[in-house]
Amino acid sequence: MISARERTLNYVVLVVFAVYALYPLVMIVDLAVSPDLSGDAAGGLANFEGAWEQGRFGTYLRSSVVVSAITVSIATFLSILSGYAFGTMRFPGRALLFWTMLVGIMVPTEAIVVPLYFDLRALDLTNTYVALILPQVAQSVAFGTFWMRAYFLSSSRDVVEAARIDGAGHWQTLWRVLAPMGRPAIVTLTLLIFMWTWNEFLIPLVMVTSENLRTAPLGLAFFQGQYTSGVALLAAGAVIVALPVVIVYLVLQRHFIQGIVEGSTKG
Amino acid sequence: MSAAEAQTAASAAAADRSARRERRGAPPGEPRRVGYVYVAPALVIYAVFLLFPLVRAVQISFYKWDGLTLGGWVGLRNYADILADPALRAAFGHAAVLVVFFALIPTAVGLVLASVVARARVRGLTFFRTVIFLPQVVAMVVVAVTWRQIYAPDGPINDVLRFVGLGDLARGWLGDFDLALPAVGMVGTWVSIGLCFVLFLAGTGKIPRELYEAARIDGAGPIREFVSVTLPAVRNEIVVALTLTVIAALRTFDLVYVTTGGGPGNATTVPSYEVYRRAFELGAVGSAAAIGVTLTAIILLLNLVIARIGEQP
Amino acid sequence: MRRPHCAAVALTALVIAACAPGSGSAGGDAETPYGAGEINTDPASLGEVTLTVWDQEVRGGQDAQIEALNAAFQDEYPNITIERVSRSFEDLQATLRLAITDDEPPDVVQANNGRADMGAFVQAGLLTNLDPYRAAYAWPDRFPTSILSYSSYTEDGVTFGEGSLWGLPQMGEVVGFYYNKALLAQLGIDAPVTWDDLDAALAAAKAAGQLPLQFGNLEAWPGIHLFGAVQSRYTPADQIRDLGFGRPGAEWTTEENLQAAQTLVDWVDAGYVTPEFNGITPDDAWQAFAQGEGVFMLGGTWLLADLMDAMGDDVGFTVLIAPGTDMPVATGGTSLPFAVTDATEDADAAAAYIDYITSFDAMEIVTEKGNLPVVEASEQQVSASLQGEAFAAWDAVTGSDGLLPYLDYATPNSYDLLTAQVQALMAGETEPSEFLEQLQAEYESFVGG
Repeated sequence: MISARERTLNYVVLVVFAVYALYPLVMIVDLAVSPDLSGDAAGGLANFEGAWEQGRFGTYLRSSVVVSAITVSIATFLSILSGYAFGTMRFPGRALLFWTMLVGIMVPTEAIVVPLYFDLRALDLTNTYVALILPQVAQSVAFGTFWMRAYFLSSSRDVVEAARIDGAGHWQTLWRVLAPMGRPAIVTLTLLIFMWTWNEFLIPLVMVTSENLRTAPLGLAFFQGQYTSGVALLAAGAVIVALPVVIVYLVLQRHFIQGIVEGSTKG
Repeated sequence: MSAAEAQTAASAAAADRSARRERRGAPPGEPRRVGYVYVAPALVIYAVFLLFPLVRAVQISFYKWDGLTLGGWVGLRNYADILADPALRAAFGHAAVLVVFFALIPTAVGLVLASVVARARVRGLTFFRTVIFLPQVVAMVVVAVTWRQIYAPDGPINDVLRFVGLGDLARGWLGDFDLALPAVGMVGTWVSIGLCFVLFLAGTGKIPRELYEAARIDGAGPIREFVSVTLPAVRNEIVVALTLTVIAALRTFDLVYVTTGGGPGNATTVPSYEVYRRAFELGAVGSAAAIGVTLTAIILLLNLVIARIGEQP
Repeated sequence: MRRPHCAAVALTALVIAACAPGSGSAGGDAETPYGAGEINTDPASLGEVTLTVWDQEVRGGQDAQIEALNAAFQDEYPNITIERVSRSFEDLQATLRLAITDDEPPDVVQANNGRADMGAFVQAGLLTNLDPYRAAYAWPDRFPTSILSYSSYTEDGVTFGEGSLWGLPQMGEVVGFYYNKALLAQLGIDAPVTWDDLDAALAAAKAAGQLPLQFGNLEAWPGIHLFGAVQSRYTPADQIRDLGFGRPGAEWTTEENLQAAQTLVDWVDAGYVTPEFNGITPDDAWQAFAQGEGVFMLGGTWLLADLMDAMGDDVGFTVLIAPGTDMPVATGGTSLPFAVTDATEDADAAAAYIDYITSFDAMEIVTEKGNLPVVEASEQQVSASLQGEAFAAWDAVTGSDGLLPYLDYATPNSYDLLTAQVQALMAGETEPSEFLEQLQAEYESFVGG
């Protein structure tokens, strides 16, 4: 039914857009391995070493890893718990509580970061992992609760019943039966929270001024200003910052894309 | 994070639908007060680190406060300033322009792209999907650093223009009063197209192939086919795409912070950037809070409007 | 369903009714200033100390001198560890306020002299008054009063230029014209001495198909310097000082300032300035200049080391003589002063560090790394011709009282306003008269009349 010409057109369109999407990324990788006029970037992989040292990306990546790991762990665990309750149990005030949490999905960081900063400062909590992590956990559980609730709503009632007849309590039902079955949903949630946390800019910009706590995107933004004699090392730094998420994405792209598509259209 | 964060917001629209369906259907589970125990930890962190700051933001927005000394009550003055101060009005105006580039253009392009692809089975679609979606997962700071190079006076765009003999059009894009804002917007277009495309692809993927064939047998051209078959099938996805991208546009911060810092002049200031500048550089915390609260209100309102439009038959 | 809703409303009301922001927390504690007796000026006796220092010395020579001095300081006092955090000037502007208002701020910060930074910090009680140390270390013997006044404010932060001392600079700064010697020679022109010379040179460069003036203003601060330079040609020095220090009695909307603003526009129209200057970063601009693009470039002495590195002896530096006088006049002052935060627990060590990096010995290292030391420039041995010319220019300007303040010192908003306005003026978005009216409005609202 579909003519050869149309098929060709399809590929042309897809290739054009793929090139459009890839070109800037290829360009920055190319810049990252090119030598610089100033001479302090020799080109090749040595640039990454140079950026790593001059831009202190080692420290920044470590901080990013700590923040992401803790945020993802806490947020995923709490989202499973609350999603389980909202998805399988009835208790007074359930709808109101759920809607309250849904509002959080739409509140921009810009609105809360100002009071958050000043209140945390009054409590001596700025420049701590607490200030970096808990606000991001709060944002993530808003989405996570919604996401896991959708999974638990769709999970089979029969399975739950069967577990109960076997004598499993609500805790065992969750961890022995439903959570293992929900692995894909949980993996996707983990990935999304990881990506948001790793890429977050405003919260680390405001909450920490100590060099040891700065996360990678911040480090990159400051490196741009600090490194005044060329672009090669800057590009190398950009690649270093982007790489962890990109690798995870390429390996698990199905989960990512499914997550985005289903997370937003499910229901 | 802005696009990704925004992603969650669109989910709310979907939750809206699922909640309504749930009311119609049977209630899940049985009554259990233990539910509170499960909800409590998430709810407490959420309440302390998101809900409470939001309420505090509203409170602070009624004060003139420098963040250091005691604040003074000014009522709605900070909000009145948003309307009266040309610089702030301009910032919100710029955000509106960014909506065109972040949301409207990618939605339109994504639709065309998806509907072209929907008509035939394409080998290697997974590959193309992965690649076209890639800009979404790259940190915005990296995107900004990259595009700053692309827009540089001796960057690739100007090189191409000079190469094809249009050297007169070459310029320092981010330093041009008229073009800096569209240039920032085009970065948003680049980031958003993949998201829109992937969403619409999921929508068109659900269309039975026979529908297209039936339409063609009826003698429908590509445009009729698009309007009568494709468009209705992806209505939901359009709502979602618009929600996500509009929020991303309104929340642009890191992109502006890294590429232009609001310049040249004030040609690319946006509300989020003003929040940061006022609260943490200029010591106008009350005003910053008011801008943040206004931004939240606009986002909630737009979400409602988009969801409404999506529901019209 | 209804009850929790009411509870939420009640909670909201409760919070809103609660105390005003800022009533409970933070800010400058009303600590009593150190009495002279409590000061310890022997860093070796202070025990294990870690000093966090925020500076903006990211450029080649500046970076090298601060690294060298930090290393030497730690060698001499092994009990003190320096944790250095360096930022570009812009990023420092954007984050310093956040850092310094924190409960554990850095111990030493480089705070810009003007009212937006040092003035605001003094006002909020965020910096340590250095007066006791000034006496203990005999700083007035090291620095002339004029230099110290650049880091002086009254304790309430209101009056700039007098009162207590809040910081010390390392380097002198003077903004002048760098010129490419080879290109000037090609044009058959000597290095300009007067503004008329410069006019002629710019025209000749243009006629010869050269770029007369390299300029990159994407980051917007170079615009302040360019306008300041042109302003010094027309507007009397004392008026510029009143405007720059935010003192009453001057006016932006004068015929002279209008001429200055118009000159910038004329230069752009005549094609004297790099096309698309608002899209070029200042770093790209000096790198292009170093590669022979542009006969002149306006820049501060902070570029000395980078340009010597890149151009060797092919580059010169000059400041121009004000019309109708025989003295050179130029924008400048000191590099950003190093200040001690109020909340630091190691004020003695911080002051010792500042004393160390501004000592006579330190000035030698500053010079050796290609920079302009704030004092004793004429005592230093300089081999490179560019550095020699810059030192001579600095001596001439300071010697004839021709140093003019950076215009952004004036008011808390003037940095933001001036940077945006010069970009707009030179892009033809704002008329010269409009430009001056905006500045006048800001100035008036600050000096109150």
